[in-house]
Amino acid sequence: MSGELLTAGVDVGSSAVKVALTTTLDVAEAPQAGGTDKNVCATREKIVALHAERIRRRELRKVIADCWHAALDKANVSESDVVYVATTGEGDLVEFRRGHFYGMTTHSRGAQFLMPQARAVVDIGALHARAMKIDERSRVLNYKMTSQCASGTGQFLENVARYLGIALEDVGPMSLNASSPEAVSSICAVLAETDVINMVSRGIKAADILKGIHLSMAGRYVKLLRSMGVTTDVALTGGLAADVGLAAAFSEKAREDGMEMTIHTHPHSHLAGAIGAALWGAYRHRVLERRAEIAS
Amino acid sequence: MTATLTDLLQLARSLHDDLDLTQVSKWKAAKPGRKAVGHMPIYVPRELIHAAGMLPVGVVGGGDRLEIIRGDAYFQSYICRIPRSTIELALSGRLDVLDGMLFPSICDVIRNLSGMWRMLFPDRYVHYVDVPQNFDPAVGGQFWRRELETMRDDFARLSGHPVDDEDLRASIAVYNDNRAALRDLYRERSRRPWVFPLSEVYLLLRAGNVLPPEEHTQMLRAYLRQAPLDSSRREQDQSRVVLVGMFCEQPPHGLVVTLERAGCSAVDDDLLLGLRWLTRDVAVDGDPLSNLVDAYLTASASTASRYSPDGDRARWLLDSVKRNSAEGVVFCAPSFCDPALLDQPMLVAALDRAGIPHTEFKYAEDTGQFAVIREQAGTFSDSIRLWSTP
Repeated sequence: MSGELLTAGVDVGSSAVKVALTTTLDVAEAPQAGGTDKNVCATREKIVALHAERIRRRELRKVIADCWHAALDKANVSESDVVYVATTGEGDLVEFRRGHFYGMTTHSRGAQFLMPQARAVVDIGALHARAMKIDERSRVLNYKMTSQCASGTGQFLENVARYLGIALEDVGPMSLNASSPEAVSSICAVLAETDVINMVSRGIKAADILKGIHLSMAGRYVKLLRSMGVTTDVALTGGLAADVGLAAAFSEKAREDGMEMTIHTHPHSHLAGAIGAALWGAYRHRVLERRAEIAS
Repeated sequence: MTATLTDLLQLARSLHDDLDLTQVSKWKAAKPGRKAVGHMPIYVPRELIHAAGMLPVGVVGGGDRLEIIRGDAYFQSYICRIPRSTIELALSGRLDVLDGMLFPSICDVIRNLSGMWRMLFPDRYVHYVDVPQNFDPAVGGQFWRRELETMRDDFARLSGHPVDDEDLRASIAVYNDNRAALRDLYRERSRRPWVFPLSEVYLLLRAGNVLPPEEHTQMLRAYLRQAPLDSSRREQDQSRVVLVGMFCEQPPHGLVVTLERAGCSAVDDDLLLGLRWLTRDVAVDGDPLSNLVDAYLTASASTASRYSPDGDRARWLLDSVKRNSAEGVVFCAPSFCDPALLDQPMLVAALDRAGIPHTEFKYAEDTGQFAVIREQAGTFSDSIRLWSTP
């Protein structure tokens, strides 16, 4: 792995811990046609290993340690090979970290690494949802959050799945099969959960209930994006990015609102925070090395 | 002092949490006739209180563990929180252990508080310490000397212990030791903030409000020796920031912890600035009152409640940024703090001119929700490390 920087990102969320190991290599590219005669320096970044575990009432420090060692094993590297460990989320418990980055910063970077065309990111975690407008270098230009209400979050969807007796991973595919989605309150998780209980007692099909919830959640994200003037490619990250039903509802709601945006997801979208942290870690490692060289 | 690091920090934490001033009561009970004199933040000449055999006690309000019931009746809603919580402490009997109270000229609110004190507690010693805002020895110097003489006589009467020059020289030496320990702590913290995190340094500063200075100095020296021995303190990649605005009403400890967790390492600050007001030793030989006057005129810290000629405050801040290799400034001032908030635009303009990143937010001593501050400090720290770094 000579010349490559191996860095790690540890994303401690409220329901899961995610670890990403990435390598970064500075490469000199061929002179660009019609451009200058200087070689252009670019960075080649690669994911080496990914690992995620749900916390499920286990001791958080142990989950972090388990995740960390599982990721190192997957990459077949040792702890000392990692030049920078960056945390994000609730990373305070990661005592072996070198630096910590805020969630918006890491999700933007990870989202753009996975989906380079993204110019906006919607990160939907267990307890929050936030929309970010970013530039081509993953810099956050603006953001909006829905933190004051739980109805746009993963925890809410998990509660609903439990009421309906459905496994969380079946929620998305089931929602895609809805024929007549039932509208739910988009304002308050308590009211929405009451709606769901009423629907169940009225015999509404689970697929229609789930699609109604997805549309309600998507409506909130579309509003956030609209308020920031986002009209372009949007990447989904966070735990709910893997929910195909939510992604479909998002596209549908955007179309309904006359917004020409494309919603992107990626199989690793839920790990975007950890990936972004690892990549920023590589950047910071280079900065700190440069400073040390100058100082010496 | 052979206490372990954990013991030291636990002691500092318990002193920070003790609104009943139990430590002061114990100190007084240890020797019959002992007296204690409280003072509000910013500078008071603690050497004079100490030389009279009394204990100077810093009073910084009720923090985030005091419900204000009566204190709100004394102040309008647009007044900061420290005077109302200080009144609450006094009316609830928690400050009965203090035999006197000093109110330095921080702002109009604290001046008014001194008047309220006189009316509420007519049997207790109260003095408004009118520190000079003119630094000419022939004007402010003479004025300050008269003020010090008045206090020296007052303290002699209050304690029943005349304050002679030898007593005062000895007390100046004690406080020189304390200031030197604080300077060492700030210098080392700036060099290795991960070894001396602000969340601990702040507790140790707060201990200086209630401990006798000799004990406080020992505590600081023990911390300076022991913290570097803790191998779990690893170097962190955090933004180096200067905190400005916290010289009077103190932030809740949780806020300080939040700033560090958000990725900001404080390399300089103005927390409890009164403890470090004089930036050099006070001369011990010669006339002690003249030495105190000279130190005040020539070596006072620069802060919003002290008059500075145009640009002087900004130069002080820019110098701190440079001296501590800081990458940004966090203006963190109490809500409704006139001195801090009126000073801020001029400092912001100076930082903008120098191209130094900064962010601003407000707090109250009982702020309990830190999510917004965490978000702001976290994004500020990220922006410095990722977008301001060449």
